[in-house]
Amino acid sequence: MKMIRVGRWITAIALVLLAGVYVRALVYTPVERSQGLAQKIFYLHVPAAIWAETAMVLVGLASIFYLFLKDPRLDRFAESSAEAGAVFAAVVLTTGPIWGKPIWGTWWSWDARLTLTLFLFLLYVGYLLLRGAVADPGARARYAAVLGICGMVLVPFVHLSVYMFRTLHPMPIVLKPSAPSLPPSMLATWLFSLLVFTLLYVGFVVQRYALSYLREQLEAATGGIGHA
Amino acid sequence: MPEAVPQNAGYMIAAYIIVAVILGGYALSLYLRTRRSLRA
Amino acid sequence: MPLPEAVRHAWYVARKDLRVEVRARTGILSALAFVILVLLAFNFSRDPTAVPAIDLAPSILWVTLTFASMLALNRAFQLELENQAFDGLLLAPISRTSIYLGKLIANLIFVATIELLGVPLLALFFNVRILPFLGPLVATIALATIGFVAVGTLFSAMTVRTRFAELLLPVLLLPFMIPPLMWAAWATGPLLAGRPLSDIVGWLKMLAAYDIVFVGVALVLFPATVNE
Repeated sequence: MKMIRVGRWITAIALVLLAGVYVRALVYTPVERSQGLAQKIFYLHVPAAIWAETAMVLVGLASIFYLFLKDPRLDRFAESSAEAGAVFAAVVLTTGPIWGKPIWGTWWSWDARLTLTLFLFLLYVGYLLLRGAVADPGARARYAAVLGICGMVLVPFVHLSVYMFRTLHPMPIVLKPSAPSLPPSMLATWLFSLLVFTLLYVGFVVQRYALSYLREQLEAATGGIGHA
Repeated sequence: MPEAVPQNAGYMIAAYIIVAVILGGYALSLYLRTRRSLRA
Repeated sequence: MPLPEAVRHAWYVARKDLRVEVRARTGILSALAFVILVLLAFNFSRDPTAVPAIDLAPSILWVTLTFASMLALNRAFQLELENQAFDGLLLAPISRTSIYLGKLIANLIFVATIELLGVPLLALFFNVRILPFLGPLVATIALATIGFVAVGTLFSAMTVRTRFAELLLPVLLLPFMIPPLMWAAWATGPLLAGRPLSDIVGWLKMLAAYDIVFVGVALVLFPATVNE
């Protein structure tokens, strides 16, 4: 199937470019004076966070269109975006504490980005669990769409809650990990990383979409679950 | 001269390795699951 | 369907559910026992000499209400599980919207009953004065409850027929309960400490905004959970 090949190629290229990001970030980007080498985690952490949230918005949008148009392609896309989003959220939730420990002195600090990403991760898990729990494909798609839309609508409220939580409970932050203005070489590395994460998202989604399609075909052919 | 740059390379290495494992692991999972479905 | 008619139909649906509850009474009694036991657990999990009860009261109140609401919502559509009663409901000449509104009203009344009994118990067990602040407290609880139950009614329609419904519903619902829980707890704290109303109005506005958004979203999405 052509889509599988395309997806695999995109992912492979993205992974090679990711290695390029690693080299550039680790070797060719200057060390941040106040934070030291740990600051370089930023180049992976922030692009992952951007895609963890964007993937949720896309799940929500695809879900809205699905309920109107009933096109199964939109449902497959939503499912794929949710899985990719969960993976990127996992990246944020692991790199966050590892970055936080040397910088803030504590593994977890209810930092705005981390807390939001934790919510996103739980929403993704719920979405995927719901899909797994519903046997009928039509109901599964509809229910997932409902949950996806609710999740997308919740995100602004979580942003608000986290913002309020933090402004009323000042956190012991010594340094602001994501500096508002980066020197050009750091900015270039960051942008490169963002591009690679974008490519990874596309590759993951294309492959996952193809997998959904394959599974649907199998389900239709064998008339139910229980096959490899 | 301000204080020395903090020595925290260990954290950086751990994070970079974990990210490679997560992303590479997921790519592998996609590859294997697709292969399994193609064979069925 | 004209609005007054939809509301009337909703009331019929609600009345049907409430009649079943009143006759059986096991639902409300179990929920009440649950609240008492949770309050007991909170009491024995704290060191009374370490932190005064008044400081913990908002958290205890809202965690208890959150979990009690979730239990109540689990039963929301269980009534229709047997004898294909749900098909009967769908075949009736009432709109899907009326069904949702009716379920919402029934659930609200059920949870309100739990709260009516549970909040005085909390005041009793933890020696917290609530009478001077009764008006705003009731308003806070009402606003948060509407948010919980609006989303919970929508989700329970989807989870009721899945295998691990009692576990799946909380996993799906809790991310949606945390923002209102936070605002309600942050309103309750200053309220019970005797602070002026102007301090907490902001939180009440957030709760109201959340309610308006999610009741609207749920009304629009509910038909997708029952349409074939």
